[in-house]
Amino acid sequence: MDYSLDELMIATMAKNLTGEVLVSSVTAFGALAALVAQKTHAPELAVLATPESGMEVTPLPTLTLGQFLTDVQRGIPLTMEEIFDAIFCDLFRIWINPAQIDQFGNVNISAIGPWEKPKVALVGSRGIPEDTSHLSQIFYYVLHHNPRSVVAKVDFRSGAGNGPERDQYLGPWGAPTLLVTDLGVFNFTGPQGSMAVQSLHPGITLDDVQAKTGFVLEMPEGDIAVTPQPTLEELDIIRRADPLEVRKLELLSGEQAAEKFVTIYERERQALHVAWPARSRF
Amino acid sequence: MSKLLSAQAMVDQIPDGASVTIGGSSLSRKPMALVRALARSGRKNLTLIVNVGGPEVDLLIGLGVVSKVIYAFVGFEVLGLAPHFRAARQTQQVEFEEWTEYTVMAGLDAAIKRVPFLPTRAGLGTDVLHVNRSFRTIEDPFSSQTLVAVPAIHPDFALLHVNYADDRGNGVILGDGHIDVLCAKAARTTFMSCERVLNGEELQKFGRDVQVLRIHTQGVTEIAWGAHPTGCAPEYRADLKHLEEYIAATGDAARWNAYKDNMVWAEHNQYLDRVGGREHLVSRLHV
Repeated sequence: MDYSLDELMIATMAKNLTGEVLVSSVTAFGALAALVAQKTHAPELAVLATPESGMEVTPLPTLTLGQFLTDVQRGIPLTMEEIFDAIFCDLFRIWINPAQIDQFGNVNISAIGPWEKPKVALVGSRGIPEDTSHLSQIFYYVLHHNPRSVVAKVDFRSGAGNGPERDQYLGPWGAPTLLVTDLGVFNFTGPQGSMAVQSLHPGITLDDVQAKTGFVLEMPEGDIAVTPQPTLEELDIIRRADPLEVRKLELLSGEQAAEKFVTIYERERQALHVAWPARSRF
Repeated sequence: MSKLLSAQAMVDQIPDGASVTIGGSSLSRKPMALVRALARSGRKNLTLIVNVGGPEVDLLIGLGVVSKVIYAFVGFEVLGLAPHFRAARQTQQVEFEEWTEYTVMAGLDAAIKRVPFLPTRAGLGTDVLHVNRSFRTIEDPFSSQTLVAVPAIHPDFALLHVNYADDRGNGVILGDGHIDVLCAKAARTTFMSCERVLNGEELQKFGRDVQVLRIHTQGVTEIAWGAHPTGCAPEYRADLKHLEEYIAATGDAARWNAYKDNMVWAEHNQYLDRVGGREHLVSRLHV
């Protein structure tokens, strides 16, 4: 069966979403994972069109049209209060894409180097502290698993992993559950809640993963599971829902990415109008 | 009584050193025309308070008029990092205080509720608690639980851009609301631009979409395309081409000066001509 890495990762992410909870669509990967889950094993999921609104909408990954999707599909608009109340009540799920994740599942989107004088100032912790202090499941994905992204210790903890501060202040709420990367699937069942290999993607070896990880990984005993390949149904859902292939953008770089970006930006309004012809609001 | 004011009359009321909270979110519904008017006013030492900031924070930092930023996030989303924000963070030219999305909301909410702080679990176990000097941890008086005390944020001004408003200051928001309503309630003075001014009767047809109430508003102005280059759903999307040009211009002093001359030191109508004119904007950005 022909599938690409983005599709394998999205199908893997989808398998972990369950229940009657809001699922945020921050990235194409997150939106598609939510949609696949909802259309297969988790019909009760409330998938959002944007990071913060548009309930009961079928996501269409785009660069700029998330809110327009809510409008053309007459989705249910939510307020930020509703979003954070859902987070605090553990009725919210999100696939977070951090710049760094460490062996105890701390994550960083704030700064590379010291926060006070960063080598690279990133974006700021956004809502990750809220997620990592309240949700019973916390999901991360990393597209380029390497010693700079999967590190021994993050430069700044935007999100709380496992460790003494968690034990003292938070308990299990907001603890890391899973990490999906381009190499495999990892959980946090190692000693002191450290990262452990759950499965490796087809064709990937433990040596490959260890060579690209910034610390010594907890190795599983016995045979290592292989990440299940996406099913035809999952592939069909992903491809139909993302005709512009916005999901590919996250894995591309340089000129290829720039070209794809321009094409998507030019065509995304047309794709929206084909899928949902405009209706007058008056 | 009509609260219609020109953008100029609004920014004339904002003094040096004022704290200004700005609605919208990254590339969505930022009051960019008001922000450019504020930039032209020559005000300095502003404190900016944003939940999810984007081009508005970056532009004002790039013009050297900001002394402090309270933020949960500043970035250009699909276009990557905010160039002036990043440079100012790395060279420590501006004071930065990293908050989180809910704590910015809680700080504004504490101001609205006239309490000195609101408690939350958000931030525990993270380094935000260590670098944000405004936060304290407190012990719950009923149990021994440790919580974060988020201090009230009292902005002097709020700047918003909404879809429609009436001349008394009721505002309709049709896309995501972000935290605009909290900004309007918490600020001492709220100025709002809108795509179109409607009469009260027309406005009230929008029912629950009338999110900003006139009791919180001190000034209204009609500025079509007032969020450009950010988007204003469901009418127009973000102008990523313009934002790419902006990012490219920040890399070089001569180009940045040219950008400022063309795009900031221009009245709004001139600005619209310089970004291609209204017809061109409609064809590229209307959805």
